[in-house]
Amino acid sequence: MSQNLTMSPDLGTEDWDPDVITRMIFIGPGAHVSEQEIVTEFHMLGLPLTIKNTCYGSMISGKSEDVYKAIEEIRKLDPNHIFTKERGFAPGDPRRCRGHRFGPREGFHQMEKEYRILGFVANALEERKDVEIEEKKPVSVDEFKKVMNECLDKKE
Amino acid sequence: MVKIAVYPPNSLILADLLERKGHTPLVLQKQIRQKIKDPEIDSPPMNITEDDPIQGLKYAAIEVPSGVRGRMAIIGPLIDEAEAAIVVDGAPYGFGCIGCARTNELSIFLLRNKGIPVLELNYPTNQDETYVMVNQINDFVDSLEETDKEEE
Repeated sequence: MSQNLTMSPDLGTEDWDPDVITRMIFIGPGAHVSEQEIVTEFHMLGLPLTIKNTCYGSMISGKSEDVYKAIEEIRKLDPNHIFTKERGFAPGDPRRCRGHRFGPREGFHQMEKEYRILGFVANALEERKDVEIEEKKPVSVDEFKKVMNECLDKKE
Repeated sequence: MVKIAVYPPNSLILADLLERKGHTPLVLQKQIRQKIKDPEIDSPPMNITEDDPIQGLKYAAIEVPSGVRGRMAIIGPLIDEAEAAIVVDGAPYGFGCIGCARTNELSIFLLRNKGIPVLELNYPTNQDETYVMVNQINDFVDSLEETDKEEE
């Protein structure tokens, strides 16, 4: 597993710039836009960003001002199904990118878990619905005794 | 705008819901980025510097394992900054990014003891529970906005 050990990457000036941030854009289930549409829209904005097309949506990197402006614009495409999240590492960083190492990327499992309920969250955002959930309670001793005695009586 | 700590600190759903309302979620990725952009660290975040366990002493005693203190050096500043918190409980195994049950416990304990408004939720498993979770978060954030305005 030595390949999974992190290496000292050869980073460019942008990677060292503290003002450069990376955001992940997720498309929730049931969205009206595709990954490609989102990437095309990012390109059409004409902002100085690094854009990467991914299976869950896309990833953008650039100066924080440009990134937040781009996210604001992209959310307008489908406000309830587009989710965004901060990312520590830049796109394609050899310390995280799967292209340079084995196994799933760190953070993938969390993403996988959250993606399962992402569709429900999108529904809840579309329309507020007040729901009451009944909490499951254990059977009371009296009721248990009653059922038990009934069964015993039947046997006799 | 309120700075809200979320637990797990890398949660997509929690951070996104808060950003939609115009608040700042305190997420771990920002802290990690600071580490990555530090030219003195060669291969973060695998190597924790010798300073980290020392910084962690602010949050945990010396008897506490260095792993917990090292983690607290990253998560601690987020807890210090928090003006409110949302904690998700009862999540399935593997949910969250800390990889250390004791650090999770300590972080949640610190958030509860800080005297800030804390919303504790159960991890949803179906559609109805998700509706409840999203409504609770939205109501909590709205109540924060109201108290913020009253203070002004």
